[in-house]
Amino acid sequence: MGEANAIGINAAWVIPALSASAFFLIIVLNRVLGYVFPGSRVPSFVAPVISIGAMLAGFVLFWVVLVDLLQNGPGTFSIAWLTVGETEIQWGVLIDKLSVVMIGLVTFIALLVQIYSIGYMKGDPRFGWYFAAHALFAGAMLALVLADNLLFLYVAWELVGLGSYLLIGFWWEKRSAAQAAKKAFITTRIGDVGLLIGIILLFRATGSFDISTIFHVAASGGIGSVTLNTATALIFLGAMGKSAQFPFHVWLPDAMEGPTPVSALIHAATMVTAGVFLVARMLPLFELAPDVMMAVAITGLVTFVFAGTLALVMTDIKRVLAYSTISHLGLMMLSLGAGALAATLFHLVAHGVSKALLFLGAGSVMHGSDGETDARKMGGLRAKMPITAVTFIIGAAGLAGLPPLAGFFSKDEVLLGVWADLNPAFLVVALFGVFLSALYMARVVLLVFFGPLNPEREGAHESPPVMWVPLAILAVLALGVGFLAFNYTTDYQGFAGFMSSGHHFEVTGWLMGLSIAITLGAFAGAWLAYSRNTISHAALAARFPVIYKVLVNKYYIDEAYQWVIDHVVLVIARAVALFDRVVINDTGVDGLAISVRLSAMRTRVIQTGYLYTYGAAMVFGVVGLALIWWIFLT
Amino acid sequence: MIELTHFQVLGAALFAIGLYGVLARRSAVLILMSIELMLSAVNINLIGYAAFVDFTEAQRSLGQVLIIFVITIAAAELALAIAIILRLYRNRSTVNADEINLMKF
Repeated sequence: MGEANAIGINAAWVIPALSASAFFLIIVLNRVLGYVFPGSRVPSFVAPVISIGAMLAGFVLFWVVLVDLLQNGPGTFSIAWLTVGETEIQWGVLIDKLSVVMIGLVTFIALLVQIYSIGYMKGDPRFGWYFAAHALFAGAMLALVLADNLLFLYVAWELVGLGSYLLIGFWWEKRSAAQAAKKAFITTRIGDVGLLIGIILLFRATGSFDISTIFHVAASGGIGSVTLNTATALIFLGAMGKSAQFPFHVWLPDAMEGPTPVSALIHAATMVTAGVFLVARMLPLFELAPDVMMAVAITGLVTFVFAGTLALVMTDIKRVLAYSTISHLGLMMLSLGAGALAATLFHLVAHGVSKALLFLGAGSVMHGSDGETDARKMGGLRAKMPITAVTFIIGAAGLAGLPPLAGFFSKDEVLLGVWADLNPAFLVVALFGVFLSALYMARVVLLVFFGPLNPEREGAHESPPVMWVPLAILAVLALGVGFLAFNYTTDYQGFAGFMSSGHHFEVTGWLMGLSIAITLGAFAGAWLAYSRNTISHAALAARFPVIYKVLVNKYYIDEAYQWVIDHVVLVIARAVALFDRVVINDTGVDGLAISVRLSAMRTRVIQTGYLYTYGAAMVFGVVGLALIWWIFLT
Repeated sequence: MIELTHFQVLGAALFAIGLYGVLARRSAVLILMSIELMLSAVNINLIGYAAFVDFTEAQRSLGQVLIIFVITIAAAELALAIAIILRLYRNRSTVNADEINLMKF
């Protein structure tokens, strides 16, 4: 293609830039025009048109970039940002298969979520601001996946954090929403500090922020093993925060306080995938630090199973979905720990599509039933909202890993990667996680859509087309995306072959059979427990009260954090504050000021204000100096 | 016969009178005049040395430059100071230096 078609990889930077400009444009239109022309109001359709237009253009550009990538291979495009001493720092985009997949996912999901939001957010007093923040959030994520140097990546990383803060706390009049936003921001900040220190360590070792340069230096042994291990571990800390890995997962369930489409965006495309993306992007570095890789795998595995058990007992459907996201992010981390990049990314896409579908479906359920989120107060909704029910079930089945949906193939590839690279014990525990995953998805579907109609939900109704059309599109995609795994032509060797040529989709009969059996077993168990009541879950809860109580209280992790904050953080903070007040402020700053004032009060009496005093002082001074000179120096 | 000493005595006397004026006078105008006297005393001293000491041509021209400078600065200073005193009189109806004490604590 080359010169003939100039628009390609070099235009990739436009994708996040469009969203960022949409953010500013909406704010200018909504805020500034109000001051310039008092009393005028921008029509409410303007904000969604701008932000959806920007996202649509981004999605179109994604295909252009994809075509260019397939024909001409990966490329970078950068402009100078600033020069510090000898170091030049650049704004740059790096287009390779990893970033292009992420762009496709983010632009597509964000586009559908924004369209859906038109219906969901209708009549909200801050309708315009919602779309502005949405554009900022998606734009930051797009910049993050495109960044070719770590400093730029960090800037985008923090912007993603800001976007999540603004959107989770969108209904900030609600105290719980404001607190959830704060919790998300602060929890992820803990990881962000790690990421920043990791970036600085890498910069010290290599003298560059550029990712490919760092890989190059690291591959040739230019980074000491201690630095490498520390830096990758710290970068992983950042990823743990953003991707809500145990023990940083606490913010994600609370983030449900935001509008449901925001949850869909956070869970499927923009926020939590950032951590997985970061580890995937830095995977060549992680592979040089096998200990850290093992830590990634263990963290992933722990999170996978841990969050799965919690999803099983939550009654709020959004919280079930939240824990399921944490759990599947754990699976992705496990897969990265096994070094299976293609499988991770495939699962990321499959999960993203399914989860966006599930959240939008949950939003549709809430929209149709007066904002109710408690699954126990639902039931039999499939008759009232058939489209939502069908699409939700497709999403749930995809996530549970029912063939031939996307989640089945991606999960299988992940399990294969785990089997190939890690101890068999990992596979056994992961299969247990798979069982949990199928169980809780079946549970939530059965509780919400099946059984007799809950009398409280007589008024339930299907959502408007602007909401169910994105659901339908996502459902079709969730049905179809799994088939990307296969080899069709020699040009397309399955998703694995797309990511790195030479690889291809593998089928291992026993593992596939085992995972299907586990999934179906979980479905059967859920059916018996929640539909037929053959196995009474209430009786189970009564039989093991301690386990049930621990689960319902989320392993008391929030309580443990609260205790640490109350008894450690705040105590230290009070001591520091006391030191600051007494030593720094009263003695240091105020003390200096007081001593100056006291000495000034003593000395100002010699300032008479009469000219002759000053004149005489000058004369006597000069005469005195002359005398000294005369006596001592001549 | 006039000698160097006469110049020196005249210069010293003028300087002392000027200094006394600056320190003792209350009127800003008289203080200004006294300053001019001190500057003239310096010039007389320089002229005396120029007349009686056997300087080289380069040294002599340096001294002349110095005198020109002193005269120029005296003129400029006078113009500025007179302007200030005039403004002061407009505002406060006095040029008594003791009464100009706004900045005193």
